[in-house]
Order: sequence, then C-alpha cells, then structure tokens
Amino acid sequence: MSTSTTARAVVDGPVGVEFRSKHRVPIVVAISLGFLAIVMFFVVAAPFLVPNATEQDILSSLLPPGTPGHPLGTDELGRDILALTIAGATSALVGPCIVAVGSMLIGVLLGTVAGYERGWVDFLVSRWTDLLLALPVLLAAIVVAGVFGGGYWTTTLLLIVLFSPSDIRIVRAGVLEQSARPYIEAAQMLSLSRWRVMFRHILPNVSTLVITNAMLNVAFAIVAFSSLSFLGVGVPAGTADWGRQLTDARSIMFDNPAAAIVPALLIIAVACAVNLVGDWLGQRLTRTGGVA
Amino acid sequence: MLAVRVLGMLAILLVLSFIVFSMMYLAPGDLVKTLLGNRPASPEAVAAIREQYHLDDPFLVQYFTWLGGVLTGDLGESIRLQVPVADAIASRLPVTLALCAVAFVLALAVSIPLGVASAVHAGRPVDRVGSALGIVGLSAPTFAVGLLLLYVFAYYVPIFPVYGAGDGGLDTLYHLVLPGITLALGLGAIVLKLTRTALLRELDADYVTSARARGIDDRVVHRLALRNALIPIVTGASLVLTFLVGGTVLAETTFALPGIGLLLQDSVLFKDIAVVQALTLLIAVAIAVIALLADLAYLLLDPRVRAKGVPA
Amino acid sequence: MTAVSIHARGLTVLAPDGRTMVQPLDLDLVGGETVALIGESGSGKTLTAKSLIGLLPPGFRAQGEVRYGEQAFELSMPDAAWRPLRGRTVSLLLQDPFTSLSPVHRCGEQIAWTIEAATGRRLRGAARTSAIAARLAEVRLPERVARAYPHELSGGMRQRVAIAAALASDPVLLIADEPTTALDASNQAEILDLLHGIQTARGMAVLLISHDLGLVRGRTDRVLVMRSGEIVERGDTATVLAAPEHAYTRALIEVDPAMRALAADDGSTADGSADDGSTPALAAGTDRPTAVLEASGIVKRFGERTVLDDVSIALRPGEVTGVVGESGSGKSTLARCIAGLEREDGGEIRFEGVVLAPGRGSRTPAQMQIVFQDPYSSLNPMMSIGAILREALHVARRPAADVAVLLETVGLPADFAGKRPAQLSGGQRQRVAIARALAPRPSVLICDESVSALDVSVQAQVLALLAQLRDELGLAILFISHDLAVVREIADTVTVLWDGRVVEQGECARVLTAPEHEYTRLLIAAGRRENPRAAASDLASKGTR
Repeated sequence: MSTSTTARAVVDGPVGVEFRSKHRVPIVVAISLGFLAIVMFFVVAAPFLVPNATEQDILSSLLPPGTPGHPLGTDELGRDILALTIAGATSALVGPCIVAVGSMLIGVLLGTVAGYERGWVDFLVSRWTDLLLALPVLLAAIVVAGVFGGGYWTTTLLLIVLFSPSDIRIVRAGVLEQSARPYIEAAQMLSLSRWRVMFRHILPNVSTLVITNAMLNVAFAIVAFSSLSFLGVGVPAGTADWGRQLTDARSIMFDNPAAAIVPALLIIAVACAVNLVGDWLGQRLTRTGGVA
Repeated sequence: MLAVRVLGMLAILLVLSFIVFSMMYLAPGDLVKTLLGNRPASPEAVAAIREQYHLDDPFLVQYFTWLGGVLTGDLGESIRLQVPVADAIASRLPVTLALCAVAFVLALAVSIPLGVASAVHAGRPVDRVGSALGIVGLSAPTFAVGLLLLYVFAYYVPIFPVYGAGDGGLDTLYHLVLPGITLALGLGAIVLKLTRTALLRELDADYVTSARARGIDDRVVHRLALRNALIPIVTGASLVLTFLVGGTVLAETTFALPGIGLLLQDSVLFKDIAVVQALTLLIAVAIAVIALLADLAYLLLDPRVRAKGVPA
Repeated sequence: MTAVSIHARGLTVLAPDGRTMVQPLDLDLVGGETVALIGESGSGKTLTAKSLIGLLPPGFRAQGEVRYGEQAFELSMPDAAWRPLRGRTVSLLLQDPFTSLSPVHRCGEQIAWTIEAATGRRLRGAARTSAIAARLAEVRLPERVARAYPHELSGGMRQRVAIAAALASDPVLLIADEPTTALDASNQAEILDLLHGIQTARGMAVLLISHDLGLVRGRTDRVLVMRSGEIVERGDTATVLAAPEHAYTRALIEVDPAMRALAADDGSTADGSADDGSTPALAAGTDRPTAVLEASGIVKRFGERTVLDDVSIALRPGEVTGVVGESGSGKSTLARCIAGLEREDGGEIRFEGVVLAPGRGSRTPAQMQIVFQDPYSSLNPMMSIGAILREALHVARRPAADVAVLLETVGLPADFAGKRPAQLSGGQRQRVAIARALAPRPSVLICDESVSALDVSVQAQVLALLAQLRDELGLAILFISHDLAVVREIADTVTVLWDGRVVEQGECARVLTAPEHEYTRLLIAAGRRENPRAAASDLASKGTR
C-alpha cells in the first residue's frame, strides 16, 4: 500500500497553514495558545470549580439559557450546562494527550528499530501496520469499544494501539531516509553501537517529524474521542463529556439550544487550535533545524 | 507485481476476517441470551439456538463455517432485525451510496478549483480563505458540524429537511443536502490540501520554469502542472475513503439517515454480532479495492511507473 | 534571420532582504555571438541570467534596462509585461534535463507547446508531426523521439529535447544556464558543440552561464568573469584565458585541474609543477612498501546487475591510489565494499594479510575511515563539530582534548568545536569530515568523490590537505573520482574502471599520458572537454566490452 504514501504524508501531515512571520508568534497562533491555556486551566480546576456537575436535579430541568444561576440553562436531567461543559474539558483533552504520547512512544521504538534494522523486524512491524491501517481508526474503535464495552481508559488504550501505525510509518520513513545519509555511514565506520546510532544520531534528526505528528494526533484524537462518545460508545452515560452532551442535547434542541451549540463549538475550536499550534510548531522546528 | 499486490491484499483481508470473527467470539456477554431475545430461556430453546448458530462446534470450525458462508454470500441472520444480514445491508446501502455521492460531488466541485487557485495565488487572499476552510474542515468533527447545521436549518432557515431520508428520488436528494454538506466539508478539506500541496510542488518544478521561459501561456502551464499533480491527488483516494467511512457513520447518526452507518452504530450498541462482522469486513474489502484501483490509476497516470509495472 | 543585438544597462539584482546580489553591470551581445558568464556557485551568475528573462526567484528584484533590438524594457517590469518577450525574444535552457521536462508528457508535445505559444496557432495532424520532426532534426534526434517520454531517453538526449523545446520559438537570445553540468563528461562537449552549431546557423545570440573555464575555451567569443556579484574581468575568450588580468581570473585558471592538465600537456606554461610534485620516485617500483590493504577478485551484484566483476586493487602506506571511471562504473561500490558498508559477493579483502569478512562487523575504526562526496549530509546536523569529533575520539580511546589537535591538523581554528555544521561552508565541512576520519588514527583513508561537490578553488585546498596527510601520516589513501584532472593531481597509481571491470591499472603519470586502453583515452579526451564522440564510436565499433 505504498503508492498512497505520498498522499498519506500530505493528509497525515500538518493541516497546511503557512505562517509567514519568522520570529514573532502569529496572531492566530497566539489566540489558539491563549484559548488552549484557558481550556487547560478548566481541565485542572474543574474538580474544584464544578464538583457536582453531573448531579441531577429533576426540579430544574430544561431551563433556557439566561436563567439566574444557570447562565447556559439546564438539560432534561436538570444538570447545569455551564458546569457540565467545564467538567467535560477533562475528558476532551486528557485522553487525547495520552493517546498522542503513547502512540508516539510506540512509533519511536518500533519505527526506529524497523527502519534501521530492516530484515524480519521490519517485515513484522510493517505487516502489523498494514493490518491496522486496513480499517479506518474510527470504524475499528466503534466496533471494538462498542462490542467489548469498557470505559474511558479502555478506549484510550485502544486508540493508542489504533493510532500507532501512523507514528510507526512516519518514524520508519524518516529513519530510512536518514539511514542512507553519509553521516550515519560515518557513524557506522566508527563502529558505534546500533543503539547509539539509532537513538543518538538518527532520532534527533527525525524528532521534528515525531513532535509535529504527535500534535496532529492530539487534534485527531480529540475528534475520535468525542465522535465515539457521540455515538454512545467510549464513555458511560452520565459522564461529563462534550460528545456525550451533543447526543443528549439532540432531543432538546428547541428547549435549550445552548446544550448542543456550546459543546459543539468548543470541540471544533479546540481541534482547530491544536492543529494551528501544531502546524506552527512544525514549521518553527523545521526552520530552526530541530529541537535541540 | 500486480499479482503480488492482490495477494498481499487478500492475505490482509483473510487475517482481518479472522480477527473480526475471533473478537466477536470473545466479546463479553451471554451470546445465547442475546440471541434468544425476549423468548423464554427453556433448555430446548437454548439447545435449538446453540444448534442453529453452531455454538458447540470448535472455534476454528465455527470460523470456517462463517467464512464459507461469507464467501457464498450467506452473511447470517440479524438478531435485531430478524432478517438475513445481506438483506439488511442491501436495503440500507442505497442511502449511504447516495450520501457519499452527493458529498463527493460537492467536495470536488469546490475543493479542486479552490486548491488550484490557492496554489497559483499562494499567500494571497484566496489562499487564506482556502487555508481557513481547510483547517476547519480537517479539524471539526463531522457530527459537531452536522449538529450546528441542523440547528441553523431547523431553527432559523428551515429550507432543508433535517431528519430522515425522504421518499426516494428527488425528495431523497433534497433530504441529503445537509448531511451531504456536512460530509463534504471534511472530504473537501482533504482534497483541497492534497491539490494545493501537490500543485504547489509541481509549480516549483524546473519544467514549469522552463515552460514559462519558452513563452508558454500561464493557463497551459497550470494545466500541465495539474496533470503532473494529478498523480499524488488520485493516490489519495483511499485516504478519502477512510475518512468517508467514519464520516458517514457520524453524518447518518446526526441526521437520522437509515444508511449503513446508522445500521453499524445500532448493531454495535445492540451487539448484533452477525451484522457487525459483515459490515466490518465489507468496509475493509471496499477500502482494499479502492486502494487497488488507486494504484491502477497511478499506473495510467504516470508513464514512468507504467514502464516498470505496479509499485509494490 | 537578421542579427539582433542585445544590450543590458545597469543590470542589478536585489535579494528579498535588500542586499545587492548583482552589482550594476552592462552586458552586450550581438546575434551570432556566444558570450560566457563565468563564476563559482553563489557568484550571482544565475541571477543575472534569470533577470534577463524576468524569472527571478520570488522576492528577488531586478533593476536596470535591457534593449532587445529596437525595443527597450525595464528589468523591473511586472510578470505580465515579460510574457510576450519570453520564448519569441529570449529563451532559457536549464541545467538539469532530468527535471526541466514534464515527466508525464511526450517529448514531441512539449516541443509543440513552444511552437504554438510562439505562433499563437494550434498545430494539428501532419503539420504538427512535421513541425516537431523538424525541430528534433535540428538537434540531431530521430523523429521517433517525439513519441517518447523523457524517462525513456538518456541524459544527453533529454538535454537535446530541452534545447529543441527552448529554441522552437526562434528566440534571438538563448540563455543557457550550466547546460552540461548535470551530464556525464562524454556528453558535455557534444551538447556544447551542438549548441554552438545551431547558434552559428541561426545567427542567434547565446549567453552561456558556466562555472567551468575549460568548457568555455574555443566555444565562446567573449567571456565575463563574475565574483560575488561583480564583473571582475571581461574580454575576448582567448585573450582572457591566455593572459588574465585580474588576480581572481588567474586563480580560477590556476585551480581548474582541467586547465592545469592542459597546460602541463602543452608544456607551454610553467604551471606544470603539480604533476612533478605529486609523483615522487615511486616509478622505480622496487622499494615500494608492502600493501596494507589488498582486495582481490571482488565481485558485487545488485540483483541481476553485476556492478563489480573481478576487481583487484592494493593500497600502500604513503600512497594515493586513484580509481577513475564514469558514473555507473562501480568505483563507489568498490570503495564501499572495502569500507564494509556494502557486502561483496565474491573475492577477498585482506588487511595486513588478514582476511576481512564482508560487512562492518569484521572491521575496526582504526583500520579504515571514509570521507564522502556530499559535505552537506556527511555531518550530523544536530551535533556540534566538537561533539562529532569527541565521539570519534572516544571510539579510539583518545582524550577529548585532542579535538583541537584534530582541527589543527585539517587547518581549522580550535573555536570551530562550538559551531554546528549548518554554520560551515562546504570546504570547511569536508575538512571536519576528514578530521573525524583521522580521529581513530586509521591506516587507510577512503575518499569517495570527496572533492567533487566543492568549488574548484576549495577543491585545490582540500587536495593539498590530503597530499599533506599522506606524506606526514603515511596514510594509504583510496581516492575515488570521476574527474581525471583531479586524480592526475594527487594519485600515485591509478585504476580505471569501466562497467565494473578494471581496464587499466598502473602508475598514474604513465596511465594518463600513455594510456593503453581505448576507454582510458576516451576518458582523457572527455576530461579535456574535447569532443569524445570519435573515440566513443571507435570504441563501440571495436566491440570492446
């Protein structure tokens, strides 16, 4: 499945916004960073700010936005939409970050070894990624998470496995490309150990790719997590989660539109912001020639 | 080379079928109870169910019985719908195909010209608009976009229907407008990005400079660059399909369209194993076939590859 | 066609950051005349050329005026104003025929576009076929090439197609930007002679951009020498080459190995000292040291193709063993087999009499080190020079303080240890690569095209360094190169490889002055930029493999 590799690189790559300014942080990136900082603040502070976000209160169900004490109104079960949305930030961001880091680690280890050692290790790793890539991530996640059940952390683990092929491929391609370069052959001429060549010489040179792809995976994982919970798999009913909120809000669209619109806009905004920051970071790293 | 490619594809599908089957076999929950539904769990009924679904056979025998059925078109029986799986899928397929077609036409009609304009006028306003659309399209989950559209068109400008698939023909097409736009946003963003990146790379190539230096008209130059860029664009087809699969499930759920995606979601939640197995395999086959077709298109588009045979 | 004259006045090119890349210069060309613009890479010669056709890279600006015949134009005019001039008045031939043609269109079609753009009419049917055939005939290509895709043609043929395409609009001026640099030596002279012939026949003006003084001799009427954006010398080609006035021109001629070889052969100038200096009294052959490394009967296959077929070579301490051959002759593969980076399929490599198994596993860093061709990718971009050298020293259990010693050995100041490869020039990087190779105190140094990517003036310095290391450290150097002139300069013995086989082997001075094999003669002719076609067809007719 390699003819599509170029195309895959294009689509798997950054979203493709080009930032002109070389030193200053572009305005959209600054806004994105600020926005993400606020969301991160709520991730950390949610347990203290809104400890009872998921508590039901039938007496105050379906209040419209603007009700005193409930600025965004309540849902059918009387849960305050603002509190629920703040509490939902945690499941919207923590899982995706863990998925991105986890699949990055798998990708770095398997991708580097497969790309440098070639041979049977490479064969096994490549067939494994072929197999995982034969099904779309979302489909596999729906089927496995849906049929096996399991909560948020099982879903996180599942997504790490499902995300890893793209990391493995990207690292492997980068390592393959670097391995052919004379500086690697010069290192081999010094009879350096293979681990030193792989992780001291090659890995720093593909780190830009790795970090950029991890940022991209965060955005993609945000979409995947919320999609799963929207479809009713991944998180149990009653959890504070933006995707879940959207499912529940579909039936009360006309009673309290904020219940659907606010989390929908937040998911879109967070994913866009992460992608923008990822693109910018990728371009900066490429321009400065690396992270070190 | 082509034979190797096809064999590799079949091997992956075979392994996948095994994984799909064994996962369903291992799925938690009492299968017999699910299969019985609300019938009384008398020992005779249980025995009959075990007999009917070959549950007492060894695992491998069950797998091969199932695989044999799949290969001969017998996909089993849906316990939820009480109809053969093949019938259930066949009745849902047209809506999904129509949805994908609408989304595809919408996406290509906008994204290819926009991608070309973005590449030709890189950095100019049209490129900025393209970038903005691209980033939203690639970032926003299909269901979130769908729900926002649904709200706007149900509440403020009720000109498009927001639920169901309509009564067939033009009415169905009419019902597919909003889901189609929803799906087309993500789809178009992928195609836009492929087109822009590929064309930008080609416009930077020496042969473009050379053509311009020879006084060849810009329109002709852009056409020949696009012809070269077509190769990476077309090979992106399988990626587009990968997006479509997830996107369709979400769009159909959002707009309550009775298509394959909704069938999959309902079956997964109901643990309607036979349907889930069949659909998973069907989608895998579809993706593999499209990837193969993309490779063949590559062969047609690139004379360099044509000379050497299909790339592995 | 009547001869049209072209005059540029005050031509200036500014970089995006406002720096002046090309200082104001005047340029005059008359139809039927070829003018050469000579300079090393980065001298601004390509920018000068591109400013004359309005195709500067994005962000670069040109100033000044150009007159094509009766009409005067501002060089700073917008792209739209340039369009009618391109093709019909001025055309551009690019360096690399592998990228300057669209890979997915047939050659005939690409020539037809130019014709259609110039005439404004669509060509159809037989008229189209015959028009394309006529253009192909002009560059001496058969009609069938029209139906071929570029990848089906050799480099030389592609460049002919590119010439036909560039000339199909009948321009009054052709700018040829390093038109032969990407080609094999044997193709270079042929393409230039072809270009010269067409130019004379058409009465067209040609501006030939080149870094290679040797190519210019006998094929251009006048020459302009450019350095850092400034014309330092101009005049009649023969006069400038025979009696250069500017020190830089003199230096260019002096360091150009081809020119020097020519001078040495002619015996007309006193500049042949290099030859005598680098071939010490080895000729006697009796008191030569024993070989430190011997490769015998090396065979290497890549799939079906045999790239090395029964190749034997011996390296002696204090001697430079040259290996020459064109690209594809197997010379780099031989170096890599000896280094253990490639596993030979047959034969034996002995180091101090002990057989080394194929691959790196059997070799130690102290036995041999290698210096590669590309100075830009042979150093890890993420490590400082100091870290790179310390790592190499560590391998040899030498103290980290020796970094300064190593840097001094290769003629670099000690403070380079804190720099990163990106901050260094090509020549400096190659010196660092040599320093790294010297760290384990190897007995054998393998130089795989180590000076080919460098500008001629830098090339001479690195060659001098290698010669010095050979003499001071008693290194055995295996020197791989496609450039006979360079090998002549440094090698003591030479092995000529052709198609994976040794065709001639012996003392350098003898092989290069009195070659026994036709292929060696062909190489020498190509190295002198003479048209080797006669020698080539001679070789082919004899059916020598």
